[in-house]
Amino acid sequence: MRHLGILALAGFILLPLVQAVILSFTATLPTEAQGSFGLMNYQGVLATPELRAAMVNSAFYVTLNVALCIGIGLPAAYALARTRFTGDRHFLLAILVFRVTPPVVLSLPIFILFSQFGLVNSPIGIAVVHCLFNLPVAVWVLESFIRAVPREFDETAYLDGHSGLSFFFRHLIPQIAPGIGVAAFFCFIFSWVEVVFARILTVTGGKPITMAIQAMFSFQTDIGRVMAMTCLSLLPGVAMIWFVRNHLAKGFTLRA
Amino acid sequence: MRNPRRNAGPDKELGHASTYHLDSRLPSPSPIPMRPHDNRAWFLVLPALTLLGLVGALPLLAVINYGFHDIFSLQDVYWVGVQWFTDILQSDRFLASLGRSLLFSALALGIQVPLGIGVALLLLSYGKRAVWGLMLVALPLVVPWNMIPMFWLGLIDAKSGLLGPSLAAIGFDWKFTGWHTWALILVVDTWHWLGLVVVLAYAGLSAIPPAYGQAAAIDGASRWAMLRYIQLPKIAAALAIVFLLRFVDSFMIYTEAFAINAGGPSDATRFLSLELGEEIKGFSYGQAAARATIYFLIVLAVVWAFVAATREREG
Repeated sequence: MRHLGILALAGFILLPLVQAVILSFTATLPTEAQGSFGLMNYQGVLATPELRAAMVNSAFYVTLNVALCIGIGLPAAYALARTRFTGDRHFLLAILVFRVTPPVVLSLPIFILFSQFGLVNSPIGIAVVHCLFNLPVAVWVLESFIRAVPREFDETAYLDGHSGLSFFFRHLIPQIAPGIGVAAFFCFIFSWVEVVFARILTVTGGKPITMAIQAMFSFQTDIGRVMAMTCLSLLPGVAMIWFVRNHLAKGFTLRA
Repeated sequence: MRNPRRNAGPDKELGHASTYHLDSRLPSPSPIPMRPHDNRAWFLVLPALTLLGLVGALPLLAVINYGFHDIFSLQDVYWVGVQWFTDILQSDRFLASLGRSLLFSALALGIQVPLGIGVALLLLSYGKRAVWGLMLVALPLVVPWNMIPMFWLGLIDAKSGLLGPSLAAIGFDWKFTGWHTWALILVVDTWHWLGLVVVLAYAGLSAIPPAYGQAAAIDGASRWAMLRYIQLPKIAAALAIVFLLRFVDSFMIYTEAFAINAGGPSDATRFLSLELGEEIKGFSYGQAAARATIYFLIVLAVVWAFVAATREREG
């Protein structure tokens, strides 16, 4: 019974992925070769400069976004986990509200604002704007992991003469490394695949993978090649899932 | 003092926990140590607040401001007061779309939250091997959003899809039958987001010290009583976040709905976000901003009600 449930779940999750992988190995354009199997779609993707550039752009903005969210989120999470301060609950409410503000609501002014700073058509712009929904997530996850560390841990470090930056880098960060991994994972999954801000901020250049795929759709779309590009774009995500697998399973509790 | 609600080992807890009874909500064995009050913490929060102000608050104020103007170009802006707001709120189309979006959210939450908790409980019973299940359900989360509808359209393509021919044989027609389109969008949305519910529910469930379960077993608690009085209250905070995230994303669903049937057949899946998309594409920026403001206020109202309810329950 239990196993049947798992099998049904696996079927449901894997079917669309299997379909995509099959298509990515199939010649789909109506030519003589239509229907034949092979690596031609992947070769086609890797031979296209725009698609290679898109992979670099995506990797760059997502790395920058994760670094920003962790770097800025960690002090805030520490403050929330260890102290009470005037307005702490309002801060929690504020980050919740920003997290759930639909991106489409903000897309127009974000475009105008960012074009004044010269951040349109640049992966940096995407990295910054994705902090809107990823910084709150990073704060929630990190706060939950810091809370699980007993406060004596901080006090011992202080008694040993570590304070400020030295405490953060030499004591706290190694201690909550799994939490940083989990926070990075959640930031990654919301940022890597996002389309609304990515579309509005990359009009002519700096396109990430999602928008490069969008641009492959035309009057006669080579759906096999589209699927090959998509399957390649899954690889970093799958790697990310693999790295955090044990920490996701160990247990943490978010609080808003 | 180690906070026992988090991850104290079972050896420390067993003595306390086995004396508890299930008829009251299980209290923590000792209160959370009081955090000191220190306003210098604001220095640590300030960078986060500044960044969110820049990418969140500032654009939000701009949107609200645009909503009161007619915008032909950035140089050509006229004050129109609340005209857009009254136009939108009085139109039947808006109310119909609002109803559809609310119904869609209700269905999505009604399916995904219980199903996600169910899958998390199922995985929990597999012990260490649950990791493979978690990785499985997390897979759809890393698929580019604009490709998710394409995956499914490929799968149910009547000619070449793996499921297409059999679906066509039983008369499934998502292009022209309204409720079939609804079902397809719900399935696609569930496929996309089930993993998030499962991962967060599983993380919360596995943070519950085993002593609680052992104590309940000694008291002869049923599986249902365990779930109702121990597990669900313990993961309530994590579920609140899941609930809100899923509400907002399903309420504002665009990518999937647009790619699958663009609001059709005959407006059956015309959700709020599709109307906003039309206005932005039609360059009616003032009207789009007014509409965006209304959507934001609806979302804000739901979040507010939800947080108020949660905090009241916590006391």
